[in-house]
This record gives sequence, C-alpha cells and structure tokens, in this order.
Amino acid sequence: MRPPLLRRSDGVIAGVCAGLAVHLGIPRSWVRIGMAVLTLASGAGVLLYAWLWIFVPTAADKAAEAGRQTGPAAFMHGVDTKILHDGGAQAGRGDQRNGFADPAGAGTGGILEPDSWRERTVRAGRREVLFGTALLLAAAVFVVQLLGVQVNWGFLVPIAVVATGAALAWSQLDDVRRARVMNRAGAGRAGGALRLLAGIVLVVAGVLVALSSSGSWTLTMATLVAVLAVLAGVGLVLAPWGLKFWRDLETERAARARETERAEIAAHLHDSVLQTLALIQNRADSETDVLRLARAQERELRQWLFADPARDPGSLAERLRAMAGEIEDLYGHPVAVVAVGDAALGPAEDALAQAAREAMLNAAKHAAVAVSVYLEAGADTVEVFVRDRGDGFDPSAVPSDRLGIRESIHSRMLRHGGSSELRSDGDGTEVRLRLPRTTGSAA
Amino acid sequence: MDSENLPADGAVPGTVSVVIVDDHGIFRSGLRAALGPVIRVLGEAATVEEAESVITATGPDVVLLDVHLPGGRGGGGAEVIHRCVTRGTASRFLALSVSDSAEDVVAVIRAGARGYVTKTISGPEITDAVQRIASGDAVFSPRLAGFVLDAFGTASVAVDDELDRLSARELEVMRLIARGYSYKETAKELFISVKTVETHVSAVLRKLQLSSRHELTRWATERRLL
Repeated sequence: MRPPLLRRSDGVIAGVCAGLAVHLGIPRSWVRIGMAVLTLASGAGVLLYAWLWIFVPTAADKAAEAGRQTGPAAFMHGVDTKILHDGGAQAGRGDQRNGFADPAGAGTGGILEPDSWRERTVRAGRREVLFGTALLLAAAVFVVQLLGVQVNWGFLVPIAVVATGAALAWSQLDDVRRARVMNRAGAGRAGGALRLLAGIVLVVAGVLVALSSSGSWTLTMATLVAVLAVLAGVGLVLAPWGLKFWRDLETERAARARETERAEIAAHLHDSVLQTLALIQNRADSETDVLRLARAQERELRQWLFADPARDPGSLAERLRAMAGEIEDLYGHPVAVVAVGDAALGPAEDALAQAAREAMLNAAKHAAVAVSVYLEAGADTVEVFVRDRGDGFDPSAVPSDRLGIRESIHSRMLRHGGSSELRSDGDGTEVRLRLPRTTGSAA
Repeated sequence: MDSENLPADGAVPGTVSVVIVDDHGIFRSGLRAALGPVIRVLGEAATVEEAESVITATGPDVVLLDVHLPGGRGGGGAEVIHRCVTRGTASRFLALSVSDSAEDVVAVIRAGARGYVTKTISGPEITDAVQRIASGDAVFSPRLAGFVLDAFGTASVAVDDELDRLSARELEVMRLIARGYSYKETAKELFISVKTVETHVSAVLRKLQLSSRHELTRWATERRLL
C-alpha cells in the first residue's frame, strides 16, 4: 500500500518532490532530476510542480483537519455537558463568571467543526477556479499576440511574478488560520483582498519605477521611492507569517490556561466536595452532623463559585457572611445574610460587625431557629438587622449581670457613635444596629 | 391584580396543580414529597424542550421552575417562560434556584416569573408560596428583596420614569421582606392590611419586569434576553 501523497515539511521549496518520492517509493534525487528534465521540455516540470504545490495538502494540514473533526470538539463538548448536568447548573454559571471556560477559545473547535467540511470543499473549488482563470488569462494573452497585437511582455511578466509571490505568501496559511487572521484583523474577505492588492501594486510600482527611470537627481529620488515601495510591499506580503506565529502562540497559551483552570477546579472539588461527601456517608446516622457538614460545604462551594473577585474581601458584608457561617456551624441553625450595598471595614464598622455577631449568637443560642441578617449600607448610615422567629423574651427581665446585650451590643454601638435597639415579642426578636457613616467609612 | 380569575381545570376546589421543572431527578422527587396535599403534581420536566411540551400539554396553575436548565438555546428557566408565553400559556411561574447571582434571578423574573425562592426552602413554605403564586400574588424571598433594593437603590431618588424607582412605601415593604418579615408581619409592622402589602409587592414585581433601569437591563442582556 502506498503512503498518501502529502507535501513534506522537509522539502527544499515546497516539499513536492520529497512528498512525491515518498509516495512513489523512489529516491528524492530521482524525482528532482525528473522535474528538472521535464522543465527543459517547454517548462512542463515547473507547471507540474506548481500544480502539485497547489493541490497536494501538507502533512500538517491533514493532521490539523483530522484533529479538528474529532479531538478537541468532542472533548470540550463532553466537558461542557458534564459541568452543566452533573456538577449542577450553578457550576456552569460559576465557570462563565470566573472566566474558566473561555467561550471563544473553548468554542473554536466546536463551532468550526460542523462547517469545516463544507468550507473546505468550497475553498478547494475556489482554488481550482482561480488556477483555471490564471491559465485562461495566459491563453488569452497568447491568442491576442497571435492575432497581431503587440503584447508588452516587459510589463506583464513582472506583474505575473509579483502576483504569484503574493498568492503563494497567503496560501502558506492553511484555510482555518487564514479565516482567523482575516477575522482578527477585522478585514473580512474584501479587506484581505484589498491588502493583497495594495501589496501587489506597491511591488509592481517599485519595480517599474526602479527599472524605467534614468538621470541623476530623478534617479536617486525614484530609487528611494522604489526601495520604500518594495519594502512596504514585502512587509505586506510577510504580514501573514507574523500574524500566524502570533495566533499560534496565543492559541497555545489559551489552551494551557484552560488546562490549568480545569486542574484547579478538579483539585478544589476533590479537596472540598468529595471529602465532605465521604464524611457524610460515614456519619449518615447522625442527622445533625450531616446537616452541619452539608451546610458548611454548601457555603464553602457557594463562596468559591459566586464570590465576586472584585469585591473587597475585607468588606463589612463579607465579614458578616463569614460570621454567619461560623455561627451556623456552631449551632446548626441556618443564618441567612442579605446585603444591600457594602462598606469598608473601619474601626466603627468592625464594632458594628462584632455587635451583629453577638446578636446572631444570641438568636442561634436562645431562639434556636433560622436567623435572618440584613445589611443596608446607604450613603449616610449603615444598618444591620438581626432577626429570628423564636419565642422572644422580655428584655427588662434579663438580669443586670448578663453582659451580652448591654455590653457587647448596646455600649459597643454607642462608643462608635452608633445606636442599637432591641425588640422582642411573641413573633420573635429583632436587634437593629445603626451606624452613621462619618467615621472610617471614607476609607 | 387578577387574583379572582383562578384557572379552573375541574380540580378539587382549593387544590393547585403544578408542573416541576428541574434537571435533577433527586431534587424533583424530593420536592414532590415535600409539597403539601393541596398541591397536585401534573408532570415533571428536565429540559427546556420537555418543559415547554409538558406545560403546554397539562396547563398547570403554577410551574416550579429551576433557573438553570439544559437544552433550548441555553437560556434556562427564562427561556422556558419565553417559549410558554409565546404559546399563550396561562400558567404562572415560580423560580427556584440555588444560585446566589443576581443576574440569574433578575433574568428569570424579567422573563415573567412571579416569584423567586431558594431551593433550601421548607415544605410548608414552598406549599404556601405555590398557593400565593396561584392566587396571583408575587412571592419575594428576602434575597430577592435584597436584589431589588440593590438594583433600584435604597433612597427614593428623582428619576423621570415612574418605573425606575420605588415609592417610599414600596421601599419600606421591600426592606422588611429583606429583613426576613413575612407579608403578615410586614403588614402588622406598617399598620396596613396584608392585601395592601400584596399590592405593593405586585407593583414592585411589575417595575422589576418593565423598568429600563440600567442595572436591570444589564442583567437581562447578559443572559441574552433582550
């Protein structure tokens, strides 16, 4: 069985002879000599070479295409569905939010995949049409010359050469990369064509000016212009390579970043959720333990998934959430925190948080039911409400040697220019803490 | 609002029919068991497409709808509401979520859900919420009230559009709900009737759904709902 006909990357010009040699199973030098001999026959060798160059894919092209159709697309799809279905939909959201799944990067494989085959067919067709057009044009020129019209070969040949050079430059990018480069440059098809055209015009103009001008001063100026023009043209022609390397580098970096993120997620889930699930299985007979473990794990995961990284970890709201979590663990009653606005933690805010903690603690300890905490940080004041639906108590009946409410809450608030209020009846108890935003809140 | 014209589908008076939409089978069966005897479960669905067909086929009074769902165009619960509303459903939607992110909740409310509760809600509470939704009320959890206050601001600032701000009374009601007060407790606290509290909450829900406030449109846009 013959190896497939593919251009080799280790060839001298475009790997055509090397590829042909591998395909036919004969030494490379034979193929090269054959080509040279054919070239002597009215340039047939050059034509054949050009033909193969255009229509035979490189090994890398082939591999890239195969990879595109199976590997990354299928893999990424699997990961997506897994996160969304197994890990709970919120994990998916967390992803998006924290930028784990780079939508553009992750999508590249999947999005291109369904169309890639059709796209390739269309492209191949276009390539043939282009080649055919070029041949027809050449034939037309010959016919016109045969009919007696004077064809300016000195003008046409350089144009043809420059056009071929530019076309070859662009054909070095494979289809997908070319599309990406076009997209990236915001050029689209028309823009890309325009740039190519500009390159050709510049190159041709440069060559013509350099060749046709004579005279001393004019010559210098013209040469200068010509050189600049040629340089500009070459720059345009070389641009695809620069873009190509840059894009490849970027793709690789994105892939590595994704890999790191995934490893981090896996590590986190292992250390937290899996461990907790194992613990829960061990303690299945103790309802309180199971509840406590589940709640602590839920809070930890929630924090990890939804915590706003832009948010200052030293803020009042975060502080209250941490305290609520701690008390939840301690007493096993849910403590829900709702925060509207936020404040930086100054000394006064810290005192407010401590007072709130005392209130939460009392509620969890004495009322022994769910506790609601509401923080509202407005422009002038910061308020915290701690409420439970317990049986309530009579504040005046609390013995005066009990320091909890008086010292930890009331006096503490007063010392920092704030105030506190306690209300308790049959519907439960609510502690209201209030702090004017003058001290430390500017920080 | 239109609490009088309850959808009548020949069921025992007082019972409310529901469809449970959630992609986790364990959660669906748990919820089914937690619902009180006055709730009749007509069906379950796990994806956007399933939800659309089950809801339009059974026409429940209330749909218990998870915010995150696979299928469709990736719009989750909000997409289910959009699709069902397009097909002229009379069912009302109560959003359920474990999510803490404001954009998820606001998106599903703006799509037309009449309430939002977290999945850790107890059986009697969810039963009560379903009945409330069925009778045309809105159900605001403390967290949703917090989102509302965050989005509209806690001060009554002067803005051109009436939809873009809450009245002083609505602000008071939202604050109390955020503090963990029930509708009844809120009514008692403000010396108004429960009916009035419900009216205020429905008005807030309407503003939440129709306001063009920057924060709200941003949340909705992020979920590609506009």
